[in-house]
Amino acid sequence: MIPVYICDDEKPVREKLERIIADQIMILDNDMGPVRALEDPEILLRRQREDTVPAIYFLDIDFPGQISGLTLAQKLREYDPRGFIVFITAHGDLAFETFRLRLEALDYIVKGDTASMTLRVQKCLESIQERMKAQRPGQGNYCTIKILDTVRHIPIESILYFEAVGRRHTLLLHLDQELLEFNSSLEHFAESLGEDFWRCHRSYLVNRARIRAVHLKEQTVEMDNGETCLLSRKAKSEYQMRK
Amino acid sequence: MSLAFRLFSVSYTFVFMALALFVLTVGILGRKIRWGYLGVFAGGAVVIQWLSMGVSMILYIAGAGDAAAESPLFDIACYTLTAWFLGWLLYRAFRLPLWHTVTAAVLGNFIILTTSSVMTEALDAYSPLFDRQHFLVFVRFYIPYTLCLAVACLASFLLRKSEFYRYFSALFRSRARAVLTLAVSYILMCTLPVLRIVSPDTAPDAKYAMFFFALIVVGMFLIQFAAMYTAGQDKIRTQEETILQQQAHMELLEELQQEIRAFRHDFTNLFSGLTLQAQEGDLAGIQDFMRKTSSYFDDKLGSEIAQMDCLNNIGLYPLRSLLATKLAKMRQMRMKAVLEVLYPVKDHPGMDTEDLLRAAGILLDNAIEAAPDQDGLVRIVLLQEEKQLFLAVANNYSSKPDMAALNRKGYTTKGRGHGTGLSSYRKIISRYRGCAMRTYLKDSMFVQELFIPVR
Repeated sequence: MIPVYICDDEKPVREKLERIIADQIMILDNDMGPVRALEDPEILLRRQREDTVPAIYFLDIDFPGQISGLTLAQKLREYDPRGFIVFITAHGDLAFETFRLRLEALDYIVKGDTASMTLRVQKCLESIQERMKAQRPGQGNYCTIKILDTVRHIPIESILYFEAVGRRHTLLLHLDQELLEFNSSLEHFAESLGEDFWRCHRSYLVNRARIRAVHLKEQTVEMDNGETCLLSRKAKSEYQMRK
Repeated sequence: MSLAFRLFSVSYTFVFMALALFVLTVGILGRKIRWGYLGVFAGGAVVIQWLSMGVSMILYIAGAGDAAAESPLFDIACYTLTAWFLGWLLYRAFRLPLWHTVTAAVLGNFIILTTSSVMTEALDAYSPLFDRQHFLVFVRFYIPYTLCLAVACLASFLLRKSEFYRYFSALFRSRARAVLTLAVSYILMCTLPVLRIVSPDTAPDAKYAMFFFALIVVGMFLIQFAAMYTAGQDKIRTQEETILQQQAHMELLEELQQEIRAFRHDFTNLFSGLTLQAQEGDLAGIQDFMRKTSSYFDDKLGSEIAQMDCLNNIGLYPLRSLLATKLAKMRQMRMKAVLEVLYPVKDHPGMDTEDLLRAAGILLDNAIEAAPDQDGLVRIVLLQEEKQLFLAVANNYSSKPDMAALNRKGYTTKGRGHGTGLSSYRKIISRYRGCAMRTYLKDSMFVQELFIPVR
């Protein structure tokens, strides 16, 4: 079961949304619930830890006199990096791009008449269901990376390889459809990721599961998306020994 | 005189020279002294000097003769080595470009050498001579080199107060200029030893000292002049850019005004209709009208006003005008641009403003270039957080970018001549520790994110 939280300081909105969501969950017949409607963001933060993650959060953007929806979402993300966040807003001209990029928020719901809210909630829940299904296979290990004060959990199977660049302990992480450059050291990841990864060169750490071919003559390792990494002489002899 | 005293005296001069050199070079670079690096440099410089002395001693003992052992080439090698070492240390310490630090070190070396030689000569000439060797050592070594450090501290203080570094860095705007500056500084540094090669018999006297003093003054004057000239040129150029950017901003304001005028005209008409309905008591009609017009204002002017609000949130003026210019450019190209700046952006990011502008400029230009000509869409997000500044630039695309190739130097979707931006962007960012960047595809948008830690 995936818990669902609603956090809004306006009681009518909260109750309306709770009703809509409960109905939609019943219609879609998936394993979401229980639905908890809360007024205070502090309580939400506490309740989040008591139940399982990932969870679904419907959050108001503004809590008068309290923390902003952005800060709240960031705090929730700390504990639940893979949760689904949907914002509730009174105006249509919300700066949603910020929330979408920074917090990977899923969508937003504009407070208004029941029909349009229902439609939006339905869309959100369907897309969550789809994403959950897509995540299921290979659901396993995650690689944790801290960038400044943001923690990211990256599925191991999406990692191609790590590359050390420059002299300043900068790592370039190659993922499917993504490049990530940050300060860290290869040694750290070589140690924490263990045997699934191969240090094929002083400045490369590759995911064994993603190797397409090892070209001994050219001294390169080809990944399954066509990218190539260097192969050091030491790693080469190590590779030949194992065979 | 005991050997210990002799060794101590020589070391004393070495250490003081090194300290003076470090202090002065840091002054030229306009930074505060980092004590740890000072210690490392003092140690290293002393080792270098002892080594060069040792080599010359070995040559002397090996019988290569006086000429080889006391060759000024040793001095040149020793100075060069010291300057490189200092340059490299400061490059590590302050994360300035290596060009800057090495040139500053070379220049500092020249000034310190000349100062110390002048001091020694002057004291030699004007102090009473005693037979006591200790006193002679005192006069010839301790006082001049101590004074040298004092002079370096003073000069460093003055240079920092007068913000000399702003002029100095202007000397490195182009590669040719940087090479020239380094060469001139290097030649100045080598004057002293070279002079000894050219005329080995020059007796040091007051005139000799005067000559070097004049050399320092002329050399410094020339460098200062060149620096101020280039800085002036740069200033004119940036002012021209600012004027252009402000014009773009004015155009946006004018457009907004036009739209408000049109809106007012519309609204008067709509209201006269409404008044009629109200007089007739047509409640359903009024409700219908309300429903239709409630979003009218937002539709017409909402996005422009939101954009202005966002721009006003950016406290960093150069960044604000850069964004305003790029937004204006996109409007001209009939591209949809969305800017979101949720919270005020403070004017102290963990990056030099110039570098931040260059990095942001590259990201924006890339996005504008990569977005399709028809229905192009660029989204810009700037978010000030407690510990970091977050910048994201996203664009849609006509052909899916190849993420595997993106990393390669010169990758571009637009044919030859493009694609140099991304590698220089990465070079800029890699100079700052703690910065992180992310490039990815999401919902058919190409997104570039930059995280800058707040200082």
